[in-house]
Amino acid sequence: MILAVADPSFPSGWIPPYNTLVVAAGVASVGFAAGVVGCFAVLRRRALAGDAAAHATLLGVGLAFLLGGGRRDLPLLLGGALSTAIAALLALVLIGRWTRTRDDAATAIVLGVSFGAGITLLSGISARGIPGSAGLEQFLLGHTAGLTAADAMILGALSLLTVALVALFLKESTLVAFDPLFAAASGWPVTLIDYALVVLVAVMVVVGLPAAGAVLVTALVVIPPVTARQWTDSVGVMLPLAGLFGLVAALSGVAVSSAVPRMPTGPLVVIAASILLTISLLIAPRRGGLARWLRSRRTVAAWADGRLLEVALRLEAQGPFTREQLLAKAPGAAADSAFERLVRSAAIEPVVTRAGTPAWRLAVLGRELAGERSRRLAAWTEVLEAAREDARGHLTIDVPSPEAILGAARMKAIRESAAAARSASGPA
Amino acid sequence: MMEFDSTHLWMHFWAIATAATVSAGCALVGSFLVVRRLSLLGDAISHAVLPGIVLAVLAGGRPGGAGVFLGAVVAALVTVWLTNLLGTHAGLAEDAGAGVAFTTLFAIGVVLVSALASRVDIDPGCVLYGILELVPFDTVPILGLEVPRALLAAATVLVVLVVAAALCWKELVFTAFDPAAARAAGLPVGLVSAGLLVATSLATVASFEAVGAILVVAMLAVPAAAAELLVRRFHRMLVVAVALGVAGSIVGYLAAWHFNTNAAGMIAVVLGIEYLLAALLAPGDGIVARVLSRESLRWRVACEDRLASLWRAEEGDAAALAPRTLLDRLAQARLVFGGRIGPGLAGGLTDIGREEARVIVRSHRLWEAWLGRHVALPLDHLHPPAEWIEHHLGAEVRGRIAADLEGDEGDPHGRDIPPEGVPSSLADERAR
Repeated sequence: MILAVADPSFPSGWIPPYNTLVVAAGVASVGFAAGVVGCFAVLRRRALAGDAAAHATLLGVGLAFLLGGGRRDLPLLLGGALSTAIAALLALVLIGRWTRTRDDAATAIVLGVSFGAGITLLSGISARGIPGSAGLEQFLLGHTAGLTAADAMILGALSLLTVALVALFLKESTLVAFDPLFAAASGWPVTLIDYALVVLVAVMVVVGLPAAGAVLVTALVVIPPVTARQWTDSVGVMLPLAGLFGLVAALSGVAVSSAVPRMPTGPLVVIAASILLTISLLIAPRRGGLARWLRSRRTVAAWADGRLLEVALRLEAQGPFTREQLLAKAPGAAADSAFERLVRSAAIEPVVTRAGTPAWRLAVLGRELAGERSRRLAAWTEVLEAAREDARGHLTIDVPSPEAILGAARMKAIRESAAAARSASGPA
Repeated sequence: MMEFDSTHLWMHFWAIATAATVSAGCALVGSFLVVRRLSLLGDAISHAVLPGIVLAVLAGGRPGGAGVFLGAVVAALVTVWLTNLLGTHAGLAEDAGAGVAFTTLFAIGVVLVSALASRVDIDPGCVLYGILELVPFDTVPILGLEVPRALLAAATVLVVLVVAAALCWKELVFTAFDPAAARAAGLPVGLVSAGLLVATSLATVASFEAVGAILVVAMLAVPAAAAELLVRRFHRMLVVAVALGVAGSIVGYLAAWHFNTNAAGMIAVVLGIEYLLAALLAPGDGIVARVLSRESLRWRVACEDRLASLWRAEEGDAAALAPRTLLDRLAQARLVFGGRIGPGLAGGLTDIGREEARVIVRSHRLWEAWLGRHVALPLDHLHPPAEWIEHHLGAEVRGRIAADLEGDEGDPHGRDIPPEGVPSSLADERAR
């Protein structure tokens, strides 16, 4: 992809300038890699540790800037960012091991204090007017406009490297992400793999800095995997899908930010990712809101249909019945539309009486369906009765009286409703 | 960064007062968040209130005004609702859900600020790290005094928070420490949690202008977590957290003035240093205290082992083994220095040293005898537990074991159990 656009002999004119294209390609690969690596951060519940590491990067950027004598050299700045990101993760581990402070407070402490230190350092640098320090602010909220083609190629190469690492250790990472106990019992170095994954997340957070900024880069790592999770239950599909969503989000962010002056890239990338997530939450098959809604509607409808048929079968014992009689015996909001459905499917047929009022009776299909339903109900009743007999076998010793637990009034109500149910089902 | 000269001391006073007030409110709310393991709620809310504030300002509210507070509280409630929705409907883990919800709302806020920069009087930088130094320039007159508006807002919020905490103290504490029991006792646990949520939003919004969205996280969590390390009772923790927050604000502001850098960032750094010191120096289970107590135990064990081995050498009329490890050599040096061992390489036990050593060997052999009689361990399993417990038995326990053994003079290995000695300084240490 990079090679294709990097060819300077490519005819220009309608295409954007070379630099913009290389930057776009670099940021796209960052988005892809962030999505892939983020899958494990999300599955392993390390999203907020990644956030703490991200906020700590600012300090490293400032330190590296001072160390490099005020050069705005991207690899150097990112190296500094990585070292403080890892230091932040180390601080989290140390706080957990050495103090009574719990995880959530530890994360908040590392995040808040390291960000404060970063802001202090960057403000100090800019207050002293060190030349070249103006560009450092882009690491706060991300700004890809300042990237050169060489920077973008470095970012792209690092991204591809992390993706390659994930691909290489896919089996181990997946195992640890889903069943750390089994992995440990099988002799895998779980702690080592865990730390390696967290470091990989830190690397990704650092590589994502120029595109999304310290404050929001976590979103680049968290949102695409969450989005991909909506579409699939398989890690093999989730990884590339998350990468794809990350890529689309990163590219849209870069495109919009280059079109609007003074607009930071990070928030735009995040909003693009969130739009993808919102769409996925709505329309994803099986897990999506729409699919759930349809499924619950279908379930309700199937129940109403079955119940209506059952009532119809009982009413028909006394001959054809009217719609009102039927609905009076089977009340409920869904019964009305269930009646219409059964008529349309010809499970219930009209009988026109002499007076001209239509009455109804079950058709062959309806009788079959109702018969099948009562057969299933009877079978289930048998199973449950058997289970009850089985359970009764266990009730040999010292069971407390149900009245003592439920209270006499509730017990009386239960007995009455049971008696009512017996007398209702008795004649049928 | 603003440059002040000394004629503007009032400016600094107002800025410090604002920072301290904001910090006190945050520490108060933060203590409840920390004990309820909700520290990251502060993180989520502080990010998420941004779009609420921007929209409220856009709708004509004044920064720091009641409308903006309302907008922020609504935004905070939306975040929590979104996080819960993502958790229940999309099956997301809580951390991922919060990560999605607050970054998205914050991103929307930043885009709104950038896009509407001409219409909304909010600086994008202020959003992240606040401009405490500019607080004194926006004032309202009260009783002839030009009080910064941000201070007024923060003070109002602080009063509200203190009054609310005092009124609902019992409910808040019960819910924080045992939500299940509180629910069973009939307390409106959900309502208390919602109240805490609103309180967090209020503290966050009041701090927003002075310290920005992210450093609020430090103000909420750090003093409370540090106080939790220092004291064991919750009401004391509140007081200590507020004191740490206020102190951190004052020191942080002055340090920022001195180094000419961002005050809010420096306050966060100072709070971080406070936490570090608390973690290191907390009485009882601070890192230093734990290392010291572990090392002093190791040191005492080494000294006593050395004494006992010399005593056994005397008993068997053999030469004691020379100390091998560094710790053994140091122990030897200390025993010589303390007059327990005579000087020189071949120095044997002094009288005091012999007394102390005898007590240790007595403890060891009493324990072996007792284990041999009551626990029926094989002979070669008696030594390790005795080797450990000889450093921990007091005179009273030794007496009872001796009484239990009823004058049985030997240990299971057939050696004599030496008689009780005079309590020495080392034994006193042990009794402690």
